[in-house]
Amino acid sequence: MNATACYFVNWMEPENTAIARGLRRHDPDLLDRLIEQYQHRLLRYLIYLTGSRETAEDLFQETWLRVLERGGQYDGKHNFSTWLFAVARNLTIDLQRRKKPESLDTPRGEDEAPLDIPDSGQPSALDVVAQRELSERVMAGLARIPADYRETIVLRFHEGLSLEEIATVTGAPVGTVKSRLYRGLNALMPRLKGAQG
Amino acid sequence: MTHDPHQQAQELIACRGDGLTEAQQTWLQAHLASCDSCRDYAEAADQLVRALRSVPIAADPALVRTTQLRARAYAHKLQQQQERMWLIWISCAVVTLFTALTTPLLWQGFAWVGAWIRVPALLWQTGFVMFWIAPALAASLLFAARGTFLGSRNGTPQG
Repeated sequence: MNATACYFVNWMEPENTAIARGLRRHDPDLLDRLIEQYQHRLLRYLIYLTGSRETAEDLFQETWLRVLERGGQYDGKHNFSTWLFAVARNLTIDLQRRKKPESLDTPRGEDEAPLDIPDSGQPSALDVVAQRELSERVMAGLARIPADYRETIVLRFHEGLSLEEIATVTGAPVGTVKSRLYRGLNALMPRLKGAQG
Repeated sequence: MTHDPHQQAQELIACRGDGLTEAQQTWLQAHLASCDSCRDYAEAADQLVRALRSVPIAADPALVRTTQLRARAYAHKLQQQQERMWLIWISCAVVTLFTALTTPLLWQGFAWVGAWIRVPALLWQTGFVMFWIAPALAASLLFAARGTFLGSRNGTPQG
């Protein structure tokens, strides 16, 4: 391990330990800071996972309450984001089980509406329109591939999680994660032909 | 792992970053240098990742604020529960200590009263046991009558 990596690991450990300690105390200031810090990443993950911004926003709130409730279970040995995504994932699975007896692995049908496109902010110029079109195609492409591929691709390429971290979040072996990445990319590529630039 | 070098290269391309060993990286670089189709695949994968990362998703500030308020309120509730549990534990510890210290004295007291009023040993000993467990019995009956205390306190978050 090189010096930079050693420094990073040494820096991350006290940070995670401090989070674990704060969660055990149900520290509200720590929660405020964590919600602020992980707001976009968590919401993005939930939107991709559920396919609905409205559902994702409900789950966003429930996830943080669950983090408070189960904070004592976070040991500080893993990155907090890994544990957070796992909590969010379990809540999503619980919700989907309550709604209908399908699993998270069920692919979305071709006739289903694509994932909700979020508000892109301040539309002003042509490149914003092009960006919006690209986003729509990406989201539509993601909506059409199996959920476990979609989740793995989002965790890897959007959230930057390592293969081991993805395995922890999804509860799948690293080999399965690798396979889902490969198959997911292959499933997504033909759907985005012409949209990339 | 497949024996087809092109499929193997594509599987490695999907796991680039921290997912490859040095040997795999070296092999992949060498393969990409000599294989146009896999180089195109790698470029397409890079473009796809760039396109994925270009999708703008931001949390609504109102959602974040609402979540923070709900979390803060729930955190206070959990803290209060935690404090209540501490009080219960401290009370239990004090009661246990007090019981351990007073039980021999109480036994002596029952023995002295039993001898003074001239009752059989079994009688005053039964009286001692009844007196000793009476508080615990009363507390159990009280909790049973009011429902499960902890069950009602550890409910899921509302709101």
